[in-house]
Amino acid sequence: MKYICQVCGYVYDGGEEAPFDSLPESWKCPLCGAPKGEFKPQEAAPPAGTEGKAQLEGELGPFTAGQLAALCSSLGRGCEKQYKAEEAGFFRELAAWFTAAAPPAEEASAESLAESLRRDVADYPALRAAADAAGDRGAARICVWGEKVTRMLSSLLDRYLREGEAMLEGQEIWACSTCGFVWIGEAPPELCPVCKVPAWKFEKAEGGVKA
Amino acid sequence: MKKLAVRNLRLCTKDCLCLYVCPTGATDTENSVIDPAKCVGCGVCAEACPSGAISLIPLEMPPQQPKTEEIKGLLRAFARRRTEEEAAARRIGRASEKEGLRKLMAAAAMSTRLVTEDVLREAGFMLPQCPEVREILEKLADEPPAPDFPEETLWRLLGKLPMPGGSGEKKEISYRCGVCGLVFPLTEGETPECPVCGAKGDKLLPLENA
Ligand code: SF4
Ligand code: SF4
Repeated sequence: MKYICQVCGYVYDGGEEAPFDSLPESWKCPLCGAPKGEFKPQEAAPPAGTEGKAQLEGELGPFTAGQLAALCSSLGRGCEKQYKAEEAGFFRELAAWFTAAAPPAEEASAESLAESLRRDVADYPALRAAADAAGDRGAARICVWGEKVTRMLSSLLDRYLREGEAMLEGQEIWACSTCGFVWIGEAPPELCPVCKVPAWKFEKAEGGVKA
Repeated sequence: MKKLAVRNLRLCTKDCLCLYVCPTGATDTENSVIDPAKCVGCGVCAEACPSGAISLIPLEMPPQQPKTEEIKGLLRAFARRRTEEEAAARRIGRASEKEGLRKLMAAAAMSTRLVTEDVLREAGFMLPQCPEVREILEKLADEPPAPDFPEETLWRLLGKLPMPGGSGEKKEISYRCGVCGLVFPLTEGETPECPVCGAKGDKLLPLENA
């Protein structure tokens, strides 16, 4: 039986000699580095759209500082694409201010963050179902990319919680500056396994958190 | 529609065909940026460029794709949770002495930010110069969130962004309800629904008016 990586779509077909089950637990997706647990059998029926209702209530109130930070950095990119360098700079400046102003998460721990990411992964199918029901293919698109990127991040953080610093010893961490895919290795991948941009689009995560 | 030529410096190989063909000399500049004051948007340079390095950007963009209230609400709620994760990742990274965790949290903050940006674009904020964005920026200008907020930057940004629809107002359209006969006005872009009897879709007839 063939197995499919839920992050990058890589198909594992070991035939009779090397069936998926015979792979060690430490085996990883050769394309994107996702752990074995992120693979699903190909024949498995896709989960029905009703699989767990999103734990999300729609909200249209005022934006939080954190949302305004992301909104402004997104719009800055939108200006860059249109070669509007000055406007892009203004948006980036506003984004930086809102990023700094976003209230720090009080009780944040790696464990609570990991839990929140797992909740996101679980919520994507319901978001996707809502997008499909509304015929909104743009919203469906971000579910496809966002789910893969979030799955990867979630599985990396879970693994970190199990293995600790040893997991990252002598390794660099890279994030795709287009879709946010996170990759661990000495060098970034040649192509982003999720959005297919080339290696130069990857940024190395530094020991200090970027503003 | 008026357009402007722009050059992608990463693709440009400096073959310089664009220098020969531009009727106004807009492509010939000391900083390689096509001079918007000279460009008349004829598109000849883009056709001549062997590297596909020149695009023509319309000065006015079409309105954004409509979004349902449900999708907007869900995506905005999701975006909020993701921004909280980003803030948590920054805080955890800052508070930790462990190099690996600091790096992982830096990557997590960057990754969640990018995902959130995409979510907000699809929540109806794709285009920087759209009226929805202007509304948010104007509100911030009216009520700055804190004394150290960079108001000056915001005002300069507002000055650069075009007013929606050119005039600053969206067009009003009148509809006649085919069910109850009511005539009612609506601003462009809204989904028409009769305010009295709730009729929708082809029950409502847009009226030709000035
Ligand atoms: S024709 Fe194209 S490649 Fe050549 S200089 Fe102009 S923009 Fe660059
Ligand atoms: S569009 Fe026409 S005027 Fe503008 S830079 Fe190209 S050739 Fe010159």
